Amino acid sequence: MIKDLLISQSTAIDLSTRLFKQALKITLKLDLKINCLKKPLQNNGLIMAFKDYYKILDVAEDADSKAIKTAYRKLARKYHPDVSEHKEAEEKFKEVTEAYEVLKDSEKRAQYDEYRKYGGRSSSQQDGSDGNAQFEGDFSDFFSSIFGGTGPNKGQQRQNYGFTSQQSFNQRGQDIETDLPVFLEDTLTTDATKTISYQLPYRDAQGHISEINRTLNVKIPAGVVNGERIRLKGQGGQGIGGASNGDLYLRIRLVPHPLFDVEAHNLIITVPLAPWEAALGATMEVPTLTGKIKLTIPADSQTGQRLRIKGKGLLRKQGHGDLYAVLKVVMPSATSSEVKKQWQQLASSAVFDPREEWSK
Amino acid sequence: MESQYFSFQELCNITALPSQTIIEIVDQGIVEPEGTDPETWLFNTQMVSITRKACRLHNDLEIDWSGIALAISLLEELEEIRHENQQLKAQLDRFIAG
Repeated sequence: MIKDLLISQSTAIDLSTRLFKQALKITLKLDLKINCLKKPLQNNGLIMAFKDYYKILDVAEDADSKAIKTAYRKLARKYHPDVSEHKEAEEKFKEVTEAYEVLKDSEKRAQYDEYRKYGGRSSSQQDGSDGNAQFEGDFSDFFSSIFGGTGPNKGQQRQNYGFTSQQSFNQRGQDIETDLPVFLEDTLTTDATKTISYQLPYRDAQGHISEINRTLNVKIPAGVVNGERIRLKGQGGQGIGGASNGDLYLRIRLVPHPLFDVEAHNLIITVPLAPWEAALGATMEVPTLTGKIKLTIPADSQTGQRLRIKGKGLLRKQGHGDLYAVLKVVMPSATSSEVKKQWQQLASSAVFDPREEWSK
Repeated sequence: MESQYFSFQELCNITALPSQTIIEIVDQGIVEPEGTDPETWLFNTQMVSITRKACRLHNDLEIDWSGIALAISLLEELEEIRHENQQLKAQLDRFIAG
């Protein structure tokens, strides 16, 4: 470590003799570097991963600002949490934004390059992936260790993160949005309640921010649909300086049912039929969300045919949707020799070409 | 049950956005509140979340408002199609299984 320091110091001196005017600047950088080296990327006892911002943006070390901007824009669009389906979109987006924040700014970039050249190497076994790094606000500890602070505030506070450290003293609490899984059965009754728990950023008297768990009983309004949002006033983050609390938004997610599929307010159930039931017609019991009903299958039914059972769907604002029974003809898996004989009889007497379309 | 509707002023408060931004978002047809002018506008919870999303995209990706209008409608369409695709897949699975 001391050897590293000496080398980098002498390098700095070489530079300063060459460009005397910049000497002061370099000394400042050196100070910073020495600070970094003294505490080599450590925070709370964790060794932070070195972040290769060039690798993150997938640009060359000597890329010009235009190339960096283009690379950033491309990746930002790709990983923006509002657009991307990527599992780690949010993390990726933060990483890309952080990399751009440094590389777009010639001063920060020079500082980072210097650091990368001399300081970063010793702890750079882990590359871009931030295995142990803990995020504080929008930017990583790695960023803070070089540039200090928790990074600039990007104007609007991102919704899913906690407080930023730059809040004024009179501010409405943060709104929280979370998924609420709801069973189809729960949407039918008016008094279904669910217990939900969610995490809330909490700021104590000293201004320290932590997360607390909150549990709440929620009444589910009858007739909710998938994706609908329910607002619970004042159940979000606490307001500061007497300002009101934020709200809690519950996004309804209908839990997939083992028997029924959902299409708007209608339900769909697949009804398996024996070939003879489809041919001759049948009467059977069919499950609905609220109990069984009798269903009559007409003779000469086909796979894929839909029978409408009125009013047995989900609740709408007025009335009910319908239940559709979709028929599916199923073959028995094993055929006894006696049944086989009957199929053979059928084969010789029935006039039926299932592949008629092909011979046209 | 709390009110699920917001006035123009309430929307400004809870999103902490300047009124001009919200007027722009409505003018672009990104959200379409009930009512004919800012005094009578009513926004539902869905519109609140679209407004927020529109602003995040506008700030983070430096897209102008007409671009945001296009992006939001394409994203909505994409979400619908994904949802439909999921439904059809689930139904197809029931059909093929067994």
